[in-house]
Amino acid sequence: MMEAATSNGLVAEGISLAFGGLHVLNDVSMTLRPGVVTGLIGPNGAGKTSLFNCLTGLYHGQRGRSSFAGTPLNGLGPAQRAACGITRSFQNLAMCPDLSLLENVLVGLTLKRRSGWFSAFVPTPAQRAEQRDAERRAMAALNELGIASVAHEKPSDLPPGTLRLAEIARAVACEPRAILLDEPAAGLNAVETRDLMRALRRLMRPDLVLLVVEHDMDLIMELCEQIYVLNFGRMIASGTPAEIRAHPDVIRVYLGDEADD
Amino acid sequence: MAVSDLAQTSKAGVSARSGHFDVAGLSMLAVVAVLLLAPLLAGGFLLYSLSLCFANALAVLSVSMLVRFGGEVSIGHSFFVALGAYAVAIVEHRLGLSIVVSLPLATLLGAGAGFVFAFPSRRLSGIYLAVATMALALALPEILIGFEKFTGGFEGLYIAQDLIPGIPKALQHYYVALAVLVLVCLALAHFRKSAQGLALLMAQAQPRAAEAMGITRSWARVSIFTLSAALAALAGALTGFASSTVSPNSFTFFSGVFLLVGSVVGLNRLSLPAALVGGAFITLVPTYLAQAGDWVPILYGVALVVVTLVANGGDLRRFLPRRVGR
Repeated sequence: MMEAATSNGLVAEGISLAFGGLHVLNDVSMTLRPGVVTGLIGPNGAGKTSLFNCLTGLYHGQRGRSSFAGTPLNGLGPAQRAACGITRSFQNLAMCPDLSLLENVLVGLTLKRRSGWFSAFVPTPAQRAEQRDAERRAMAALNELGIASVAHEKPSDLPPGTLRLAEIARAVACEPRAILLDEPAAGLNAVETRDLMRALRRLMRPDLVLLVVEHDMDLIMELCEQIYVLNFGRMIASGTPAEIRAHPDVIRVYLGDEADD
Repeated sequence: MAVSDLAQTSKAGVSARSGHFDVAGLSMLAVVAVLLLAPLLAGGFLLYSLSLCFANALAVLSVSMLVRFGGEVSIGHSFFVALGAYAVAIVEHRLGLSIVVSLPLATLLGAGAGFVFAFPSRRLSGIYLAVATMALALALPEILIGFEKFTGGFEGLYIAQDLIPGIPKALQHYYVALAVLVLVCLALAHFRKSAQGLALLMAQAQPRAAEAMGITRSWARVSIFTLSAALAALAGALTGFASSTVSPNSFTFFSGVFLLVGSVVGLNRLSLPAALVGGAFITLVPTYLAQAGDWVPILYGVALVVVTLVANGGDLRRFLPRRVGR
């Protein structure tokens, strides 16, 4: 049973990453199962973003293997992993300022769009139909995250919480099989964070791999069913929120600050 | 729809997305109407100058397109313009065919040449790409003179074939150039909303995010350069057609720099008015200031600096000394 679930998900095994003499990740393994919200936490500098970038293909670990639904990912760059159905969000909001929110989400559908170069310059009936279909899907994604009402606004006119949701809408729009979110709650206020969590719970599907990287312990504990804890480039614990809360290493290195107070 | 497309290219066309006729769209129609009727009032040299303005406006658009969708600057686009112009001349001299054949052919040749240049330089950007394009502009006069057998050397070639026999040449030149310019502006407005156009804008603004959506940087760079070179060659083909002649004099190293000046004067916009302003600037200033001679490049330099400062700051006064106590 466990085996079958594993081969469906996003698996990283024994990932090691070093920049020169600096070992950022040391023999890190994690399994992201479909249908489960997985969390990755760790203090600043623990290597969360490095591991995230290894999963998305921005970095390539010196050692280790990764695979998605049984397909090896080693050597594939971000664009190729996107073609495998893996999408991500960015910690610093990655919106194009010249495009409306809807158009920003439309770009997320690029890999799914089939109109050729000719119809990019000359409107054809087929291109119009394709454009309408893409806009409908982008609108549906914005709707799913509850921000369809500002679809035609420019990013510069919108608060960061809305833009964060739009980034997730962009990731969702192309119906990916895995969504990796890099600190989705960074820079959000309490209300926006609650909206975000509600939205994330709503978009969970049985066949979707969802990873949330955060340093906000409360958010991770509330949202995730499976949690990995990273410290100094090593995976020190993994398990359910209850297991993590009780884990002595986690209490020492992560929650220790509060215990000392 | 056509009107709203044109309107959207100008910044004012806020309501264009709804497809309604609006002020910007109507003013655009007015511009086109005036240009359509202009030959009734003007003739001779003015008509000839305006035809060249339209062709140069297209060349300016090719540079602006590279700036807008690629975030890159080329100072060697005169290479592709010359390629298009000579394609028309050579097709006429060797094959005896008119622009019905040579206009599309020149565009395809431009795309091919753009791709051949862009693919090896796909990892270059900013000043490095600009310098690489400079090599094209520098090599151009040598190539034109060196391949004398095809290009006619220093003397160049004449282009005499009509598109439609029986109609006065000046009118043909004028209306063909105008029609192509308007069609290209419409096509560019459509391109801005297309999947490829959006992907290019994203690749330029957020390269890493675009990569995560499957849009690679090298795809973006090669595509936009190829398209822009194709448009430059189309512009060149019309320059040749409208001026009835091609010669190395029209394609010096400075031609490429002037195109960039024209693009900046049009604020790198892809709208019809911006293209007309840029095209008119680089066509009419040298013509009407012919006596100024060596001063033209200096004037261009001043125009470049002023437009850049005004466009970026919006107010030249901030460069003046501040009053005490402020």
